[in-house]
Amino acid sequence: MSLLQASPGRLGGRPAEAPARHKPSWRARWNAWAPGYLLVLPAVLLIALMMVYPVVQTVYFSVNKVQLPSFRTTFVGLDNFARILSNPDTWPLVQRTLIWVVGIVVCRIALGLAAAMVFNARVPGIVWLRVLVILPWTIPSVVGANLWRWIFQTDSGVLNQTLRSWGLESWALNWLGHPDTAMMAVIIAYTWAGYPFVMLLILARMQGIPQELYEAARIDGANAWQQFRYITLPSLKAVLLVALILEIVSGLNSFDTLVIMTGGGPAKATQIWGLEIYKTAFTAFNLGGASALSVLMFIAVLVMFVFYGAANKAAQRQRKEVA
Amino acid sequence: MTVLDADGPGSPSMSAASRSRRRAWRTGFYRSGIVSLALVFVAFSVLPLAWGISTALKEKEAVYAFPPVWIPSPITFENFIAVFNNAALFQSFLNTLIIATCTTVIALVVGVLGAYGFSRYRFPGRDTLLWSLLFTKLFPRVVVIVPFFVTLRNLDMMNTYQGLILVYLMAIFPVAIWMLKGFFDNIPVEIEEAAVVDGCSLPQLLWLIVIPMSKPALAAVAMYSFIIAWNEFLFALVFTNGLSKRPLSVALAFFIDENGIRWGELMAASAVMSLPALIVFSIAQKALVRGLSEGAVKG
Repeated sequence: MSLLQASPGRLGGRPAEAPARHKPSWRARWNAWAPGYLLVLPAVLLIALMMVYPVVQTVYFSVNKVQLPSFRTTFVGLDNFARILSNPDTWPLVQRTLIWVVGIVVCRIALGLAAAMVFNARVPGIVWLRVLVILPWTIPSVVGANLWRWIFQTDSGVLNQTLRSWGLESWALNWLGHPDTAMMAVIIAYTWAGYPFVMLLILARMQGIPQELYEAARIDGANAWQQFRYITLPSLKAVLLVALILEIVSGLNSFDTLVIMTGGGPAKATQIWGLEIYKTAFTAFNLGGASALSVLMFIAVLVMFVFYGAANKAAQRQRKEVA
Repeated sequence: MTVLDADGPGSPSMSAASRSRRRAWRTGFYRSGIVSLALVFVAFSVLPLAWGISTALKEKEAVYAFPPVWIPSPITFENFIAVFNNAALFQSFLNTLIIATCTTVIALVVGVLGAYGFSRYRFPGRDTLLWSLLFTKLFPRVVVIVPFFVTLRNLDMMNTYQGLILVYLMAIFPVAIWMLKGFFDNIPVEIEEAAVVDGCSLPQLLWLIVIPMSKPALAAVAMYSFIIAWNEFLFALVFTNGLSKRPLSVALAFFIDENGIRWGELMAASAVMSLPALIVFSIAQKALVRGLSEGAVKG
């Protein structure tokens, strides 16, 4: 199997053959590439099956009417999109999705940054407290969602029972059952589950900021706020951007918490775009409509991805400069 | 802070002793401030969990007690016993275990091969493939449930272990490749070159040299894959029906019977489900943060 025979010239990412006087033949070049292709073949197959094909399928379905169970398709052009755009429920859906995404992104990053600053302090015993703070991030999302559903229970949840025992009867609301409070309640639960991750992300970067910078700033008479504003924050710019994008995607992606805590209710108060896709596809069995919704969301994520790539590059550059 | 900074170093009248006393007081003040802030975060993180554990250890009547009781008395394990004797839950537990283990093994194989290929070889299309891998990582799962549904129907894999493993892989293998590639990039290539000169073939190279050298990275990837597969909910919900292949996550999400939700048992089952995740996270926290945030992107 000459195919499987690796040779030192090809290892280490050097150009296959040293600057040749004449162009290497196709055969020689293919021989140089073959082991690489062979190794990545399983990954390529998975990408084709689980990414390229789904995208093509989704786009195809989005311009068709799909009949179940035979999956017979009838071309309808942009009908599915037109129906989404003309649906009076669509704009509120967009609003709810935005409120949800902005809500969890702001809460998670604000809490994560604050926690990172607290836990970055050199105080004895803080490492042990940090282990406790991370716990919510480690438990499965299904468990976290059930936990909060139990806490927010109207009749017997610990939140309302505590409020009642303090004599604050009127504060004991139907948290998950009322459209006005449901969104806030799920945002709290989702923030709880995710802010430790943001904290760890920021903390890892913070610990890479050279201590000398702070010492020099102190000698120059900078106070705590100035040190934060002119040293900490600029060093965290890249990692904050990565966190921002990851959390936006996570917000758009979130499904478990919402389905378990509210199921998108009450009266669609917590129904966001992703849930709408799921329900259109698997409760209304409108695969064409669900695909059109997917395509629209896909475009939004694609835009995010472009930013993510840029942010990732910037983060790397910064790490190299500092290191 | 400014109040404390005002009487900074060197008021000449201050004696050395009083200055050091002042500094000690200041450190003490600073420390207690930090610790109390830290305790606020700890309370936010831990109180909900503590309430869940407390519920799991309570007798049926005590679960709804008013005012709420945080420390159960007497402590009972009847909820845990009920969970372990629940045949349907045990089946779900087994399903999750089988699916998570198989997904992890396959993700490791695909990951090692792919990462080594991307790390050591240059070929046309390499960069495109790497970027599309990174993109699959951010791919929203809700967007792909419809096409996956169609694919699994066509492959006749609905409600099977193979089907679930296949869709779970999609969420895992890109990160596996990125994490391992980052690791391989940092292994000096000279050892492999020497082995090739000695007549080592590619499979031998991987099996005898690369894999033994990358055990820590493989362990991190294995734990990452296992946890993602263990916790997965959306795909499990859409691609299973009935109890036979239903994983634990779906079972717990719809833990309800004609008498409503038995919160004590649900919390006990949740504790059991959280245990593997808790163990893995405590071992491999750093690797997981890296994997989730950037796929250990290098060069």
